[in-house]
Amino acid sequence: MTTSAPCVQQALGKRPATMHKGEGRVALMGRRVPVGTFFGGRPLSTRDPDEDLVRKIGAGDKRAASEIVRRHLPKMVGLGRRMLGDAAEAEDVAQEVFLRVWKHAASWKPGQAKFETWMHRVAMNLCLDRLRRSARNGGEVSPETPDGTASATRPLDDLQRKERVRAALQVLPERQRAALVLCYYQERTNIEAAEILGVSVDALESLLARARRALKAALSAERADLMSGLETG
Amino acid sequence: MNEARFIQLLGAYGAELSRWPETERGGAEALLEVASHRLKDIWESERVFDHLLALETDTVPHSAFSARVVASVPARRPVVKIARPWAPWRAPQWAAGGAVAASLALGFAVGYAAEPVPAGSEFEQMMALGGPGAGAMFLTAVNDTGGN
Repeated sequence: MTTSAPCVQQALGKRPATMHKGEGRVALMGRRVPVGTFFGGRPLSTRDPDEDLVRKIGAGDKRAASEIVRRHLPKMVGLGRRMLGDAAEAEDVAQEVFLRVWKHAASWKPGQAKFETWMHRVAMNLCLDRLRRSARNGGEVSPETPDGTASATRPLDDLQRKERVRAALQVLPERQRAALVLCYYQERTNIEAAEILGVSVDALESLLARARRALKAALSAERADLMSGLETG
Repeated sequence: MNEARFIQLLGAYGAELSRWPETERGGAEALLEVASHRLKDIWESERVFDHLLALETDTVPHSAFSARVVASVPARRPVVKIARPWAPWRAPQWAAGGAVAASLALGFAVGYAAEPVPAGSEFEQMMALGGPGAGAMFLTAVNDTGGN
């Protein structure tokens, strides 16, 4: 396969031939994206990057609070939206996470879990609580399933594909969805994700593999469409 | 790492090696360098699927919502600083002991002085006479009883 060599190099952390020196972007499927934005590029530092901010928040520093909101709010809302499938509920969860940040910042002790991991655990628990409460109340709404008929007649654009991925995520069982959301979208390491979900790394891998298989089945048409687009384009 | 393990991890974490367990990345990299076409095709197919999943991107929260979250920071309670001119001076330990002893002594003295005199006592009756002859009467009484 002719296209695999630069991709392999990219996966191995090497500069592929298609990348311009100093530009920090690679050609990927016809688009130029920054290196590391495609589910990669995690910081190597082990020091908690939020440590100083949390200490300042604990001392009542509003600017530090504003900075931590800027840093983490999109991720918290994203987690809520992917887990709950509802933008308003996702915002409620994110708001609740930050209320807990304000409450616990003064007593936060660095050196255990990263602060961001703690935030993810709080957010995930809030989401799972809501899902269970909703299931108990019989209020679970079956999310819109991806409609594969359109793709048979005309190629899909990225926005349509995005909507179908979003819908397919919502039909995954909640534990599989949680594992996938944490590892793929929230960029948690396998160890962090396992810790957040309270499972072993082996169990996490099993959840991820099942989630991925289920998504492949649900998105087979979109995947084929994307593949053919790559071959022709 | 063998092919079976590589495919197992690929099926869980996808083609992006930065998501793989740290301890497995080296082996995966080495295997990919010398991988067969079949394995590279499997890897490439997973990479396309990763790309499909990556289309579901985060949306930027509305600025009004961000502002609301920031506004939820509880107002910092003002710290009232009380002027304490004596603050730099610390009383020595013996002073604390002395203060306790002085308090005890004072309490004892006040308690003793305030002890009530029983009503109708001989002393009270004598004082009630109050007149100028009281002293003389007292002396007479003393002489009558014990003076002999």
